[in-house]
Amino acid sequence: MKRRTLIGGVAAAGAVVAGGIYRFTNLFVKHYPPTPYDDLLDRLTDREQAARLGAKAAGTFDVPGKAAALRASLQGQSLGATATADIAAGRLVEVDGWVLPQTVAWLSALAAKI
Amino acid sequence: MTALIDARSLPDATVLTPDLAIIGGGPAGISLALALANSKLNIVLLESGGLNFDPNIQNMYAGTETGVRYTALDAGRLRFLGGSTNHWGGWCRPMDAIDFEARDWMPHSGWPITRKALEPYYPRAQELVEAGTWMYDKSDATMAALAPLVPLAAGGIYTSWFQFSKTRDSVLPTYFGHRYQQELRAARNVTPYTNANITAIRLAADGKRVDRLDVATLNDKRFTVKPRQVVLACGGMENARLLLVSNDVMTMGVGNQNDLVGRFFADNPIPRDVATLVSFAGPLPAYYGNNTTIANGTILKATFAPTMAWRRQAGMPGSLTTVDDLVDLDETGRAAVVTTALALGVDASNAKAYSLGCGMELEPDPERRLTLSAEKDALGLPRLKLDMRISDSDFARYRKTLVEFGRQLLGSRAGMLRLKCSSRDDWMKTMDWGNHHLGTTRMSDDPRQGVVDADCKVHGVENLHIAGSSVFPTYSASNPTLNLVALTLRLGDHLKKVMT
Repeated sequence: MKRRTLIGGVAAAGAVVAGGIYRFTNLFVKHYPPTPYDDLLDRLTDREQAARLGAKAAGTFDVPGKAAALRASLQGQSLGATATADIAAGRLVEVDGWVLPQTVAWLSALAAKI
Repeated sequence: MTALIDARSLPDATVLTPDLAIIGGGPAGISLALALANSKLNIVLLESGGLNFDPNIQNMYAGTETGVRYTALDAGRLRFLGGSTNHWGGWCRPMDAIDFEARDWMPHSGWPITRKALEPYYPRAQELVEAGTWMYDKSDATMAALAPLVPLAAGGIYTSWFQFSKTRDSVLPTYFGHRYQQELRAARNVTPYTNANITAIRLAADGKRVDRLDVATLNDKRFTVKPRQVVLACGGMENARLLLVSNDVMTMGVGNQNDLVGRFFADNPIPRDVATLVSFAGPLPAYYGNNTTIANGTILKATFAPTMAWRRQAGMPGSLTTVDDLVDLDETGRAAVVTTALALGVDASNAKAYSLGCGMELEPDPERRLTLSAEKDALGLPRLKLDMRISDSDFARYRKTLVEFGRQLLGSRAGMLRLKCSSRDDWMKTMDWGNHHLGTTRMSDDPRQGVVDADCKVHGVENLHIAGSSVFPTYSASNPTLNLVALTLRLGDHLKKVMT
């Protein structure tokens, strides 16, 4: 076997293993089972932290019931733009006392619920 | 130089006949005496205490309390020359124009004068409290040159400023008794008496003027003062007490024909750790957390206050939110910061968190009141009983102020806020009080609504005036000392007019 072929093979195998680790373990990135709200939850850069925050919102509002409103408000807009619009309009929600833009609070609660 | 006379050394049954008797040697009484110093008026200043704390004299302040937890009546004030400035923290801030206005959402609010009426007197008041150059809300540029102010999105809250009475030996502000004793003695027309306790304000038989003051000492000397004019300046509690105990002619007490004396008592609640402020960018400028002395010697500290426009529009009382200590965030707090900062596209890797405290303005409440109890002090005067209250709406309105503050922090991407008090128990758990005794002889043009008129004259009694924060009909969140001194200087001008 040529040396070049050996190196290529090892590299390919390594890539497959790394890809597998990345995709099927939580070592580099936490993976979540599919949910009906992935389009919304994908907006969260750190879903784990959001879920930790959102867990404190348990019982304070109907979380799945907010999904439609979230989709509407996030349609064609970044999370940052939507949150900014919430702030300007005074659409704020308290979670464990933290004064949050409504969209951030609802998304966090959704992350905790799923 | 006039001697300071210890009333215990006076012969029994002495009769003094000054033009003006000032009852009380605290900031109001001393400021008034200094304002009228070297005029043609012959003035006696009658101070109950001596030059230093005496537990036997202080005990005459003891009383009872019901209602919400409050400072003991003999702990929140001091009965010796200089009065309660002897434990003053030196915080100064002028009242805002809106503090004088009647607010339709706040029953019983409004002064019969505007802030403009006090403005000519603030410069001298500022000198007396030794708070340096008048800067207050003109401080932004000066302080921003040290470090940028916390940016806030447009809204109801802005950075405002306290100034502080000059420090001495690192901590002590202007204690009026010590600071102005020499000036009092130097005034050729002012005779200060110590250990002189007023036991009754005796009205003429028709009740329309003060005939004389009964005075007693703890060594059982009794004497009389028969002045042309009297100014009661004993503080927000004792002013009411002396009027109520003086009930031989007006059976409800002097000036109490409409049952107002002692009602509407107020203080500035100072709940601690009401919220957590997170600054995404890292530490706040030092002047938010600490008193900061600038080049001209003025001492400033930033505070977050509601704007007058927002107070009018949203129906909010005064409040002054202060930054206290650095705190650590719990797991949820860290998650809130990370999630919110990421959503807003802000780097919060150096975020710092601070606990916030506050000085609040209470709504006037006629049932929050001082009355006389059956217990007597060493001179036989009924002691005071305080029914202390604070309404849920006081808390609710301040909470809305904090939400607006949190909104503006988010809007500027500067930080965020956590509210820590939701229930009455939460608020009361960390409640402290300013020991600012306000409102018990409130000012109004209408005798049915107030004890004194706009000139601080007691309605119906032609030669009795009241000085001090007991006349404040609405209270402000600003600390009262600077403001009551200004109001007293205005009274001094009025007395010059009516007496000379």
